[in-house]
Amino acid sequence: MTILLKNVKIVDSQSTSNGFIKDILIENGIIKKINKNIQNPSGKTEMIDLKSYSVSPGWVDIFSHFCDPGYEQNETLETGSKAAIHGGYTRVFALPETNPVTDKKTAVEYQVEKAKNLPIFIHPLGAVSKKLEGTELAEMYDMHKSGAIAFTDGYKPLQSTALLIKGLEYIKAINANMIQLPIDKSIAKAGLMHEGIISTRLGLPGIPAMAEKLIIQRDLELLAYTESKLHISGISTAESISLIKKAKKSGLRISCSVTPYHLFFCDEDLQDYDTNLKLSPPLRSRSDMVALRKAVLSGDIDCIATHHQPHDWDEKTKEFEYAKTGMIGLQSCFAVINTLFPTLENQGLVALFSLNARKLFNLPPATIEEGTEAELTIFNRDLKNDFSPASNASKSANSAFFHKELNGKVKGIFAKNKLSIFK
Amino acid sequence: MKLSTQNLLGIRNLNPEDIQLILSTAQQFKDVLQRPVKKVPSLRDVTIVNLFYENSTRTRMSFELAEKRLSADTLNFAVSNSSTSKGETLLDTVNNILSMKVDMVVMRHSASGAPHFLAKHIPAAIINAGDGINEHPTQALLDAFSILEKKKKLKGLKVAIIGDILHSRVALSNIYLLTKMGAEVMVAGPPTLIPKYIKEALGVHVTYHVSEALAWCDVANVLRIQLERQNQPLFSSLREYNLVYGIKKDMVDKLKKEIIIMHPGPINRGVEIDSDVADGPHSIILNQVENGVAIRMAVLYLLANREN
Repeated sequence: MTILLKNVKIVDSQSTSNGFIKDILIENGIIKKINKNIQNPSGKTEMIDLKSYSVSPGWVDIFSHFCDPGYEQNETLETGSKAAIHGGYTRVFALPETNPVTDKKTAVEYQVEKAKNLPIFIHPLGAVSKKLEGTELAEMYDMHKSGAIAFTDGYKPLQSTALLIKGLEYIKAINANMIQLPIDKSIAKAGLMHEGIISTRLGLPGIPAMAEKLIIQRDLELLAYTESKLHISGISTAESISLIKKAKKSGLRISCSVTPYHLFFCDEDLQDYDTNLKLSPPLRSRSDMVALRKAVLSGDIDCIATHHQPHDWDEKTKEFEYAKTGMIGLQSCFAVINTLFPTLENQGLVALFSLNARKLFNLPPATIEEGTEAELTIFNRDLKNDFSPASNASKSANSAFFHKELNGKVKGIFAKNKLSIFK
Repeated sequence: MKLSTQNLLGIRNLNPEDIQLILSTAQQFKDVLQRPVKKVPSLRDVTIVNLFYENSTRTRMSFELAEKRLSADTLNFAVSNSSTSKGETLLDTVNNILSMKVDMVVMRHSASGAPHFLAKHIPAAIINAGDGINEHPTQALLDAFSILEKKKKLKGLKVAIIGDILHSRVALSNIYLLTKMGAEVMVAGPPTLIPKYIKEALGVHVTYHVSEALAWCDVANVLRIQLERQNQPLFSSLREYNLVYGIKKDMVDKLKKEIIIMHPGPINRGVEIDSDVADGPHSIILNQVENGVAIRMAVLYLLANREN
């Protein structure tokens, strides 16, 4: 198959064509030629004019829940992939909170096998502890060999200090990364939202910001002791940023990501008990939200992680206390970030969506250069986005971003020698 | 006059005019309740369901009596707490009831925000009879009504709320109502039972010493210790609680002023309040119960007529 992308702006700091508007000829999944005015070599070539669009190395999401196997009423690997493509992602890391839990080779193999025929790369995240119970280490070496990209207990982050030390040490042998959500469950267990003025006014039990600070402080101590690799995903407070910044300076192999919802919303948006805004970690104060935004611009955040967490209608249409936590995020993430940061340069945007995650998790750089395997995301930062229940590709519709005024549109992706393009 | 709202979800959503309207309407109903024939036909042909997802004796009886005094048809539905998680969803339950042509829903629920959730999904008028640790609006209204009877004003009055502030929907509704009507509020209790941000969030004074609260206030509203809501130890023992925070007769006698003592019930005698205070001359606890019926009649009446 031969594809010719015409007049597209190349956004890839690793590429010699960075910043230029050129044509890209792809043959059998390999970038054959990058030049101005490439002539259509044969009648069989599919030619697409991408004037006003940009192309970058394919985007990567490191923290998504595809619910497959076990919770297929919410999402499957197929529907999750669809949502990912609409969001511009060529690679997604799938959380181990499936049923059975992804804590063994067979569970990893199931996802790897099923993902082979899908148009994006799906990388299973293996569990750190057996059954995500936080008491015994799972067979991480075996899972790694079968294709687990990194290890995490997902929304049940390791609480046992003793086990986390062992887990961090254990994965050094395979040079893997561990991902932790920053929340101390013993403090947070009774809480439903950020503890502060708003929770007091709404009569909802609070989760103090300290629940995040304490666990990050502890995790950083353990990281220093074990000299391993750790990524903290979903940081939600201003203090977390400074803690991680300091740890980076001291030379620890620490990185972090933030979700689109912690950047867009804060606890004040919960006045109406909207269950789509029931999240973990919870939406924090306005000043936390502002600090996170600043950290994105200053480069202190490594990646944007969607924390795509689908729930069907029943799980969200109920009392706030009983509703499940989480929001879908793959399809809307780019538009949310692009809308929040219109001044963020293309390079910075692509670093947050692709390059940093590729480096942190040992993925191919997907450089847009002749001779490399084509893995691309095609986007436009100025076009209006129309994210709504009608355009939503996920199997679930638990989003607070429907009908928001957002800018930025994904035109499509190219991955695994397949072009997926939208009108 | 009409209320600015279609439901009574909480005092937080009311403006001072709404509160005033409910209080003055309640006064009229209280007068009715003194007559030999206590029943009026105001809500004839209106059907009301009392949906209690949490145990209640006083509030449920008070609502039911208010409904009957207004000639409404009533339906009682009590659900044990645990069945909500395994059984039918709240929305299904209510929709089933509404399809039998029920006009209004009075609901008590253990989850904060449950009536707000319901209001988004169903057309019937909803009256919050207590949701989690959020609000109990009719209690705050009847408390205000009872204070007014004795003190003739709310503006400028000093009200102390003493006890388990953290788990109390009565406290939150009372704070909203009193501050909206110009009263000053002080909360008193052990630090573990007072929300950390209450001062900034609600504009109240805070003390950990009950004697300070009593010396300061014109009205003391003593709250029930909500043992059933505590999922972790927040104080050492009921004995120690009573020793340090219980309201005792000598404390009240020492005050050189006329204060009134209130309690939303049910009382843990010998824990948050001693019997000789609860039954003593300063107590208006039974007046509160009596006024509850008039307040609930007023609320039901005003919301039933909301579209007219």
